[in-house]
Amino acid sequence: MAQGVQSVQEFIQDSFVPMVAVLCSEEAGRVTRKNNLNFAELLRPFCRLTSEGHIRDPNNQLQVVKNLRICVNNVVTSTNTPSATLGPSQCRLLNEVVSSCQPQEGAVNNVVTAGEYNLNVSATTPWFESYKEKFLQSMPASDHEFLNHYLACLLVVSSTEVVPVEQFLKLSQEQHRIQHSGEHSIPKWFIPNTLKYYVLLHDMSEGNEQRADMVYEDMKQRYGSQGCYLLKINTRSISAEDGEQIPDPWCQYLHRNSLPNQVSTDYSSGGLHTLCAINTDLEKCSRVPEGVVGGAGIHGACLTLSDHDHIRQFVQEFTFRGLLPHIEKNIRQLNDQLVSRKGLSRSLFTATKKWFGGSKVPEKSISEPKSTCGLLYPPEAPELQIRKMADLCFLVQHYELAYSCYHTAKKDFLSDQAMLYAAGALEMAAVSAFLQAGAPRPYPAHYMDTAIQTYRDTCKNMVLAERCALLSTEILKSQGKYSEAATLLIKMTSEDSDLRSALLLEQAAHCFINMRNPMVRKFAFHMILAGHRFSKAGQRRHALRCYCQAMQVYKERGWSLAEDHINFTIGRQSFTLGQPENAVLAFKQILTIDSRQTATQQGAFLREYLYVYKVITVCNDVCLLQLPLPCINSSATRVYFGHERRLAEGEKQAATHVSLDQEYDPDLAAMWFHLEEQLVTAANRGITPVNFQPTQYCLNCQTDNLRHPLAVMEEPIIVEVMFRNPLKVSLVLSNLSLIWNFTLDGVPPLKEKMPDKLTISNEETLARLQLLPHRTGELNIVGVVYDLAAASSGDMCGLLLLTCKQALELMTGRGKQDLNIQGPRLNQTKEDKMLVRRGLDKRLDPIITPPMPLLEVFFLQFPTALLCGEIRKAYVEVCNVSGVALCGLRVISTHPDFFTFGSKSAPLSTIHPTSAENNSAYQTFATPLQPDLVASEMLVSAEDFSQPSDVIDIPIEGNTLQPGESTQLPLWLRGPDQEGVHEINFLFYYENIDKGNKNRCHRVLRHTVFICASRSLSVQASAFRSSIPPHHVLDDKGGGGTLVFIDVENLNTSDAGVCEFHIVQVSSSSQHWRLHKCINPAKEKGGCGTLVLNSLCFFKYIFSVQISIPEFPEYIDVASSTTSSGSRSKSCSPAEERVRDITNIVKKCNELDLNVIIIWKAYVIEDNKQLILEGQLNVALQTIGKEATSLPPKQEAQEMVLLKFKSELPTPVITPSGELSQIIKTNLHYPETYIHPFVQNSLCVVPVTLMLSNCSSAQVDVIINLRHKSTSPESAEVHSLFTWVGQSQYKRQLKPQEVLCLTLQACFLQAGVYNLNTPKIFAKPSEQGAMCETSQQASTPALIIINNA
Amino acid sequence: MAVCIAVIAKENYPLYIRSVPTQNELKFHYTVHTSLDVVEEKISAVGKSIGDQRELYLGLLYPTEDYKVYGYVTNTKVKFVIVVDSSNTSLRDNEIRSMFRKLHNSFTDVMCNPFHNPGDSIQSKTFDGIISGMMVQTG
Repeated sequence: MAQGVQSVQEFIQDSFVPMVAVLCSEEAGRVTRKNNLNFAELLRPFCRLTSEGHIRDPNNQLQVVKNLRICVNNVVTSTNTPSATLGPSQCRLLNEVVSSCQPQEGAVNNVVTAGEYNLNVSATTPWFESYKEKFLQSMPASDHEFLNHYLACLLVVSSTEVVPVEQFLKLSQEQHRIQHSGEHSIPKWFIPNTLKYYVLLHDMSEGNEQRADMVYEDMKQRYGSQGCYLLKINTRSISAEDGEQIPDPWCQYLHRNSLPNQVSTDYSSGGLHTLCAINTDLEKCSRVPEGVVGGAGIHGACLTLSDHDHIRQFVQEFTFRGLLPHIEKNIRQLNDQLVSRKGLSRSLFTATKKWFGGSKVPEKSISEPKSTCGLLYPPEAPELQIRKMADLCFLVQHYELAYSCYHTAKKDFLSDQAMLYAAGALEMAAVSAFLQAGAPRPYPAHYMDTAIQTYRDTCKNMVLAERCALLSTEILKSQGKYSEAATLLIKMTSEDSDLRSALLLEQAAHCFINMRNPMVRKFAFHMILAGHRFSKAGQRRHALRCYCQAMQVYKERGWSLAEDHINFTIGRQSFTLGQPENAVLAFKQILTIDSRQTATQQGAFLREYLYVYKVITVCNDVCLLQLPLPCINSSATRVYFGHERRLAEGEKQAATHVSLDQEYDPDLAAMWFHLEEQLVTAANRGITPVNFQPTQYCLNCQTDNLRHPLAVMEEPIIVEVMFRNPLKVSLVLSNLSLIWNFTLDGVPPLKEKMPDKLTISNEETLARLQLLPHRTGELNIVGVVYDLAAASSGDMCGLLLLTCKQALELMTGRGKQDLNIQGPRLNQTKEDKMLVRRGLDKRLDPIITPPMPLLEVFFLQFPTALLCGEIRKAYVEVCNVSGVALCGLRVISTHPDFFTFGSKSAPLSTIHPTSAENNSAYQTFATPLQPDLVASEMLVSAEDFSQPSDVIDIPIEGNTLQPGESTQLPLWLRGPDQEGVHEINFLFYYENIDKGNKNRCHRVLRHTVFICASRSLSVQASAFRSSIPPHHVLDDKGGGGTLVFIDVENLNTSDAGVCEFHIVQVSSSSQHWRLHKCINPAKEKGGCGTLVLNSLCFFKYIFSVQISIPEFPEYIDVASSTTSSGSRSKSCSPAEERVRDITNIVKKCNELDLNVIIIWKAYVIEDNKQLILEGQLNVALQTIGKEATSLPPKQEAQEMVLLKFKSELPTPVITPSGELSQIIKTNLHYPETYIHPFVQNSLCVVPVTLMLSNCSSAQVDVIINLRHKSTSPESAEVHSLFTWVGQSQYKRQLKPQEVLCLTLQACFLQAGVYNLNTPKIFAKPSEQGAMCETSQQASTPALIIINNA
Repeated sequence: MAVCIAVIAKENYPLYIRSVPTQNELKFHYTVHTSLDVVEEKISAVGKSIGDQRELYLGLLYPTEDYKVYGYVTNTKVKFVIVVDSSNTSLRDNEIRSMFRKLHNSFTDVMCNPFHNPGDSIQSKTFDGIISGMMVQTG
């Protein structure tokens, strides 16, 4: 807060004090100069009177004069008339005062809280205090007021003078001459007969004291005891170098204006801080004069403490005995004059003046033509007497009288239109009204306003206006009227003086912040204005301070334009003040926030910043500084371990692996991790290691970065840094490199820094930086270092290349930025959720491991498009490119049915894409085919299907791959069954042959291919239970047969390239079934277009026969994983299983487990060449009666599940009656035609055998009901025609697979065709006691023809 | 007619400031920012005396040498500030009022946009158009 140290009353009192002139004889001057002082200076510390004085006013009332100060000055004569403005020297002085007074380092600051603002405002403004003081001191004496006119004159003569009295006479004449000759306009004297006070100065060290006393006695005689004084000083001789330290009261008065440190302002009412300040100040004071004044030593060197007392006594004596009585006398005289004039009424007095023109008109013309400020009175004009009296009263603190006098004077002056005088009277009236104790009347602020306005506008006297404003604002502030004070201060700012405007604006700002409701923004704004004016006035430090204070309000509140402006100014000012660090900070703030400046403005900011930055870096080149630009998106930093992959090499297509160009996909990553886990499990014989961690080649913010990543020696580490340029101008980064630490036994790492890039970034740019470790150890990547420069703008390009380069060099700053990667936010525990906790992220801290093997995989002739089910051959080449042997090569894929490795024995020479026939997957085998029975039986050993999991070992010789070695393997591919684009992922696994590495001994290589599968054939197959009676079967082994229907459809309508499909072979594969007979060998060639091929085959059921024929010559190289996959898991005999569950029974009974394989050829025209493509389709028949297709079932679009608010009733367990109804197979055996002579016998009885065979593997209770009436009327009609005779209901139990024959008799009444299939059969498994028997499915109608003979 | 129009959020950061391009934009930013002190003073003064029934239009906040600054506060404490050239004496209080009403309406429209995030700076072509209409010399 900008409160002065003194109270306002004291301040005003001290601003107007009685002035005393000094005239000194030569000799006396010499005496005082021993102390390095002149006489006026000698008295100055003692000019404040500690005791009370008394004065009697004209009414003989005793008036107390407290705390009076007098001002003693040497007479300086000048002929200049006082001007309305300050001279240049005075201005310079004021400027120096302000600039020398800076806020102390640890100065007390007030924290002002206003709304959401917490501001740190300097508590005091000492520079303003000293400015004010100096300004008031340097006020030129003016004619319209007498306050700073000399009241008395001290005539000082030394006792060493030959005739001191003569000297006194001389000085007295001199004074008279100065005052009355009219040669000098300065100094001005209060009253014509100035008080002359005769001082005899006696030097104790040299003069004769008795003589001095004698002279003094003489003086007393001559001038009266109250008009003279004997002052004895210099008790100590200069040479006397005793250790007595005498406080030096002069320093604060004498050198305060020239010394850099301000002293007096901190003399406030105590407190530890102020005391310390005083002490330090005193130390400084005692030190500095030695330097400044030279060998003369400190002030008052010859004065003892008693001398100090003498001087004090002298001043007191002079004031109380000389000055005050003199003033009292004068007041009385003036009062008498005025009282005598009071006889006339004032109105009459003025009226006569007007009527008769008064006596003043000629005076006016004599003295001065009427100037802008109105009338000018001659010095002794009667109108001025009252003002004189007022001033005298004011000086002796008789404010009440002073006020009434000023008030009267004001009226007189106003009526005379003497504006300058009126304004002065108004000003002082207001002040004395304020100073009146007890305040009988409120402070007349409007007096002040009028006075200021008059001074400024009418009289054009800015100095007086300023003084008036200063006084007024102090008074207003003391009354808490900050708003008015601020307005006044702001009004006083003008173009003519930057320093004054700056100071006043700053005070205004302080007023705003000190208001009851602090106006923070106004404070800030006026601070900025003040800062601006300060900088114009050359007060850079003050300007900087103002801007910094204003910054507190604007900072981070969205007012970016203003913020930028302030920051920019702070930067500039700091830089010119030699604080480049602060400048850089300020400029940095402009550049980091998302500024809304225009591009040119940003460019300017950037250049300024770079310039300052360069200066800083030149100054201290020890460590690199942080650069604010461009922004680094730390969390987007990616780290990649390993070489950058070659994508293709000639015809070879390299494994895609991982690269920085790929986006991270968490689902994909999970898939890869799962694959790797399977591989590791397979490599460890089915056990997943506890410490298994998936290999991560590329780390980003989404990967698991809790552990130190592993980097391999001699394999590069690539760090991708994302730069973002927030500016509208582009930046140039050059000489980019990484900063890193390497920690292992303090061994300097042999490392090669690769990156040397030039990046011009406009928005978001990625930079890839590479490190190549040469030793094992722990690496820690800390940040990036680069040269930052602004991109050369268009006009720069026009210049010569050389200058352009130079300019670029000039504007380049080298600095660093750290890569601080924050880990992911933790969200596990409650604490984590409530706080913001971050996990670890060790992305940039890799551990360098010893060399590891490195595998490269290439694919040859790898297709991109296949027909569904197409078989194609490709080659894979594995290559060990490292210096370490590798082993344990394995591969896993997301589509295990897509590929298989061929045997190495296949001749490599046949790899020729055109010779498709040579490349065929199948070898034709000349088998003597039976013309009627195409079916042939083949058995395949179970070991061929014995891959325990999806992991496939890659068959390489010796299972190891030596350094540099490579092997080519054939690879059979089969097009996926479903059309569309398929993403197929391979994961290759390999190990270091030397398992010593404790960290990691395996590595993986990823490969992803996309295969476009187009439609080929669709095979639909369905199996039905054969209803052919068993005796028709040639070699009945106790089971039933199954009929398999196969429909083949050509779906490839769209692809014009495919001409036609040929079904080459139909085969089956099963453990339980054997092809028996091809019923309808419709070996048609399926041409183009949709064709339904209807083959009907018959298979023989072979129950629980283990197939064990080892090798099968015709079946080579066929990717049979699909064929095998279905049957593999169910190799054990179903009879051994103890079937308990009813559903199991049923399932077993309907189980089919049969695979049908269709091998086709397609003729394709591609590039005018005919190609023959081969393929194979498989249909897995699982259950009887259900249709199976070669196409996997299409996934139904998932329907939206409706929200259900009620829990659903549990669906009742419904026994699968449809399936239960197939437990028992029925057959009726009867003669197809029966001839019966109805004439002879009206009843025709035909024997019919009912065969019941139990299809299930459980005991079944069967009930046969012959009389069962069907509900349908149609069948009832039929029933009436024949009837069963004999036992009509049977109850039997059937063992598993048992066949039961019942002989029934049907009785017909007439000839015709009858359906015998009417018996109702109910069955249930014997163990299911509670269950009802289930009606068995009736088979096809059994028709019998009865003929009449 | 207006030389600068500003919308200030409740928390006293600018939502929208547009000024005539011919003059120094920074100056207007400072002017508008400083006027917020007066706005706050006026709000607190009015709030005590009348209660919730408050006139939204605050009138002339303060005159500077070159400009007159007018204020308006919505019920949600969003402030509108219009700076008018002092030389433009033809402008009457009623016209200023109607300008503020127009501004308020279009501000409400902006706020009603479901894709506008309250508290973000206003980026709306319609709003821009209305502001431009008020800035140009319409009489």
